[in-house]
Amino acid sequence: MPDFTLSPDLVLLQETVRSFAAQELRPRERAAEAARGIDGGVASACETIGLARLELPESLGGAGLGALAGAIVREELGAGDAGAALALDPLGPVLYALRDFGGEDALRAFALPVLEAAGARAILVFDAMPRIHTEGRRAHGTLPWVPADRADLLVVLERERAYVLRDSIACEPVRGTGLRAAGASALRIEGSPVLAEWVSTPCARRTLAHARLHAAALLVGVMRQAAEFSRRYARDRVAFGRPIAHHQALAFLITDMAAAVDAARLLVWEAAWRLDSGLAADEACASAFVECAEASMFVAPNALQILGGHGFMQDHPVEKYLRDARALGLLLGGIDAARDDAERDLLGIAGPVDLGGDDPQGELHAASS
Amino acid sequence: MDLRLDAGLRTRVLRVRALGRERMRPLGLEADRLGRPIPADHPFFAELVRLGLGRTRWSGEDAAEPGGFGARAVVVLAEEMAYWDRGVAVAFPGPGLGEAPLLSLGTAEQRERFLGPFRTPDRPRWGALAMTEPGAGSDVAGIRTAAHREAGGWVLSGAKSFAANASRADWIVVFATVDPGLGRDGHRAFVVERGAPGLGDFHVEHKMGLKAYESTSFTLRDCCVPDANLLGGESAYDRRAGFKGAMRSFNATRPAIAAMAVGMGRAALDESHAFARANGLLGRPRIRDRLANVRRRLRAARLLCWRAAQLADERRPNALEASMAKAVAPAAAFDAAMLGMEILGEVGGRGDSLVEKLFRDAKAMDIVEGTGQIQRIVMARQLVDLPRDREG
Ligand SMILES: Cc1cc2nc3c(=O)[nH]c(=O)nc-3n(C[C@H](O)[C@H](O)[C@H](O)COP(=O)(O)OP(=O)(O)OC[C@H]3O[C@@H](n4cnc5c(N)ncnc54)[C@H](O)[C@@H]3O)c2cc1C
Repeated sequence: MPDFTLSPDLVLLQETVRSFAAQELRPRERAAEAARGIDGGVASACETIGLARLELPESLGGAGLGALAGAIVREELGAGDAGAALALDPLGPVLYALRDFGGEDALRAFALPVLEAAGARAILVFDAMPRIHTEGRRAHGTLPWVPADRADLLVVLERERAYVLRDSIACEPVRGTGLRAAGASALRIEGSPVLAEWVSTPCARRTLAHARLHAAALLVGVMRQAAEFSRRYARDRVAFGRPIAHHQALAFLITDMAAAVDAARLLVWEAAWRLDSGLAADEACASAFVECAEASMFVAPNALQILGGHGFMQDHPVEKYLRDARALGLLLGGIDAARDDAERDLLGIAGPVDLGGDDPQGELHAASS
Repeated sequence: MDLRLDAGLRTRVLRVRALGRERMRPLGLEADRLGRPIPADHPFFAELVRLGLGRTRWSGEDAAEPGGFGARAVVVLAEEMAYWDRGVAVAFPGPGLGEAPLLSLGTAEQRERFLGPFRTPDRPRWGALAMTEPGAGSDVAGIRTAAHREAGGWVLSGAKSFAANASRADWIVVFATVDPGLGRDGHRAFVVERGAPGLGDFHVEHKMGLKAYESTSFTLRDCCVPDANLLGGESAYDRRAGFKGAMRSFNATRPAIAAMAVGMGRAALDESHAFARANGLLGRPRIRDRLANVRRRLRAARLLCWRAAQLADERRPNALEASMAKAVAPAAAFDAAMLGMEILGEVGGRGDSLVEKLFRDAKAMDIVEGTGQIQRIVMARQLVDLPRDREG
């Protein structure tokens, strides 16, 4: 029977990260933004929870958790401070690229050094354009923005291959729309040696699916927090003799924001469950990213609107949620690249269209047609 | 977390699928073409009864809680039925919407008398529920059908609208008021039996879609109902909380209605996807993109239905989640059908395709069992303590 219940371990993890986010991240979100980084105390608190090694295989000293665990952790961190969430996760989606293309050897060679160097950051870019070119064994190009102030490792993902860069990458600080706690730079790659290169379309798809889910889960957290903050504000703020939440235009807006957050979360969970169960998941992950990015563009601006002029001022966090959400949705080629993948999946479907959840496509439909 | 269906449910889905493909869809298209409900004496209904369908989910035990199917199974099967034809699904014999108030409010004697015949029915039998009136739909507290006490019984007078299967029903659960000034506190639910004196003027409405079942308006002219047909007996209404608590069980049906919308949307998606493929339109990224949007929204709606149903299965409060599913799914389904019409283009405009029928059928889902606006009011009560306009 369809069952959304999380295992006791996951509930514990969720609660732990939720209180970490509430106690350590949210109170410092403005300070972290101004400082373009998180303070050492927060980083070491995070270290104790082991957030940086959650999805790393156990053989390499990680917790070996799956995509659902990752999604749950990232929602909570995103609800605390999405920029800090990136800063606290030095490998980020680079983990998926190294793991899926290169296996444990690649993780050992490239991931572990990043985890061991204090403050190091590895960056994954999806470069379908491409903006970075390789010639011989060297890469050249520029990236206008990555949410980091340093790039100790850069993995460039294309539709059919991935390659690893480390040296000759110049970071030029930029202001950044959002996610500033993670930093913000333009990257100039000038003849950077290609340290490893793999060609595999299935691996590229898989990495992209995991990476999209990574960003999508952070977006769920950001929009949940935006919806929640504005909901509480609307209950307290009085205009025309009653709480503004009781004016029906706002009441209905608030219900629709809640529904948008829940729908987005369920799509993320379903996609994560597919990844963890070994079911086809590329389209589900792309669709989850589209949903999260689009829903966050509905929820976050309206959260600001509910606070009126106060929302525009930086005394309240909602303008930051809006900037963070907008920035997250630009990662990995943004909404349109994900839509391309979601949409192309339909080309391969001959009969009824699988809506997900169960695997009726494979089994139920086959049995009846 | 595990979203697989278990083997038993899977088998039942396949059985519904076979029935749906072979019988429900053709019958639905035929009723739509003829523009009238499937007649009550149609052999299909007798066949359903022989197949063991058209029964009550009441196990016969003296328990207020229905046994049998869990909410999730109901939701999954409702989606599949509606995929093939939602109108035909509502036309199925059975106690229908009247079953829920009988189970939650009815006395043991009433359950036996009215649901008993649906345990192993000898022939197709229907039950119905009539709440809506010409002057009051969403604002349920505003119903005006009057209930007056007389020696040995009650006299009902008023008009009811759009009640499914009412003219063919053995009985109709009719909501009336002893005092309109009391709002919901004045409500009483009666089982009005076929042939009751004063029950009449049945008018089968002409609908935009969902033509396979009858939506019937009727009047009650000094209609006499015995004491024994007041649902739950007098004492059920002494404690206001008792009656209201029982009415709350209506929320259990919202995920199922929402799931029907998902099924209709899925049918529209499959039809328009197949049409696009057959007509060389699937090569156009814009068409695929719009289909992918519909697919994503239907998937989210399905997950919302399943989640609300799981809460119901676990006997946890689900007012917010049930209304959320009901607020989201009909819009997703209607958009699926609207897009389908666009993909079919003038072929849709001919008015003789399944997609065009679904476009006419699907709109109703945002109206029945609480409009989208009413769902949002229910949600807002949970989310921001939205006060009731009137004590209801
Ligand atoms: C196909 C079909 C089958 C049906 N079957 C049955 C049945 O079997 N039994 C039965 O009793 N009824 C049945 N109904 C009736 C149905 O329940 C009502 O139509 C529905 O509850 C809406 O009521 P109404 O039509 O009077 O609209 P109204 O209540 O007049 O609403 C009109 C509009 O105003 C909006 N509105 C109302 N109040 C508010 C508010 N407070 N805030 C914001 N907006 C508001 C509504 O959302 C709607 O958009 C059926 C209807 C249809 C279409």
